[in-house]
Amino acid sequence: MDTAAPGGGNSGRKVVVRVKRRPDTREEPRWEEFALDWRPHMNIIICLRDIAERPVTRDGHATTPVSYEASCLEEVCGACAMLINGVSRQACSTLVDSLEQPIRIEPLTKFPVVRDLVVDRSIMFENLKRMKCWVPLDGTYDLGPGPRISPEVQEKYYPLARCITCGNCLEVCPQVNENSDFVGAAILSQVRLFNAHPTGAMHMKERLAAVMGPGGVADCANAQNCVEVCPKQIPLTESIAEVNRQAIREAVFGWLLG
Amino acid sequence: MSTHPLTMSASKTDDQSAFFWRKLHSLSGIVPVGVFLAEHFWSNSYVLVSPEKYDAVGQELQTLPFRPIIEAAGIWLPILFHAGYGFYIWGKGKSNAFAYPWMHNWMYTLQRWSGLIAFLFIGWHVYTARFLTGGRSNFVTVHDDLSNNLYAAFYLVGVLAASFHLGNGIWNFLCKWGLAATTRAQRAAAYLGAAVAVSFTLAGILIVYSARYNFHPFARYIQQ
Ligand code: SF4
Ligand code: FES
Repeated sequence: MDTAAPGGGNSGRKVVVRVKRRPDTREEPRWEEFALDWRPHMNIIICLRDIAERPVTRDGHATTPVSYEASCLEEVCGACAMLINGVSRQACSTLVDSLEQPIRIEPLTKFPVVRDLVVDRSIMFENLKRMKCWVPLDGTYDLGPGPRISPEVQEKYYPLARCITCGNCLEVCPQVNENSDFVGAAILSQVRLFNAHPTGAMHMKERLAAVMGPGGVADCANAQNCVEVCPKQIPLTESIAEVNRQAIREAVFGWLLG
Repeated sequence: MSTHPLTMSASKTDDQSAFFWRKLHSLSGIVPVGVFLAEHFWSNSYVLVSPEKYDAVGQELQTLPFRPIIEAAGIWLPILFHAGYGFYIWGKGKSNAFAYPWMHNWMYTLQRWSGLIAFLFIGWHVYTARFLTGGRSNFVTVHDDLSNNLYAAFYLVGVLAASFHLGNGIWNFLCKWGLAATTRAQRAAAYLGAAVAVSFTLAGILIVYSARYNFHPFARYIQQ
């Protein structure tokens, strides 16, 4: 039963949250600790909202609200990925009651920090373009409707289309770091999706040429963390192996058989 | 510029050499390096029959025609390439097995360390068994080496590292060449790799034990 009114804290139970703050990226990050009133079904976004409502640290110092990104609050927009107790996940679907306290909240480490918990994930969009994860449709004349896709094929590939570009799969990947330009699992999975699409398949060779280039599929070293952490349960390791198979076939037989 | 309406920008300029070397690296661990390891364990397992048989097989191998060429092209160069490129790959990754302790992530980290250990062991093994014996190692020299506790311990570590590295490498190879593409196939590949690793480890331990303690369980084959 709800005994505590929102923000009221009648139950007296507290949630201790430590946030890695970096309001100004020219400065070093620092930790701030907050003691929030516990509420049933509280998730991490609610914690950050409560801090914004009353930005006072646990030891009584006034501070600023924590910057963070969130939109859908139901794990479909991807915006709220962050490190929670050291694990990369979506803040909106992470329940406080499932976590050990104090709860440590940090920004993702594989993307540039913009402010506090906000990171810049535009590299993922750049890499989608680099690996040609699109279907070119604009031309000088009407191309007519594309080929039909059977329900079986739709069903098989729909899961790949559920990617929300959250970046969790890149965050946990040992191969994605400042020494490498590996594009990561999400992008390789989109390569598979667009190669499977009947219109996209018309550009498979160009896509494979890109994916066999720098930062492409060969940089995957099979740690398979991506598939463990993907909030949309996308079969990322199957996608990568499939793209590997297509690329190998192209490399071994492409020059031979055309 | 192409005028076809459905053209993407040209990408033929993409440098695909890294793709080539990465895939070759993965393959070279199986063929020829893994195959050589299997052959090496096989010919050494003759010690389980008798010292005489062991020496005869050794003689046979030491008198292969074209031996220097076969060794250079089939063993030394592939091992050096596999190790060298492997260290380069290691340098480009950042292990995070403690933060994300899933099984395959541990395998990722252990693959690197077992490769390093196996490489050091192979270097030492070649030095002691090949150069110190002037290329004429036989049961007596091996038995003497393995009677030394430190030698025997290092052999066991080397056997374990090489066996793990090969087993996990088979799994990696099957995934990276797209031969095991579904989750089910990858699970089967993982079991295959584990079976190889365990078999090689057991065989290796048995060989070391046999050479050290003069233990020849298959000797009765030649008695009849
Ligand atoms: S593949 Fe999964 S983890 Fe990676 S960005 Fe897409 S939804 Fe997120
Ligand atoms: S707010 Fe959209 S995924 Fe969390």
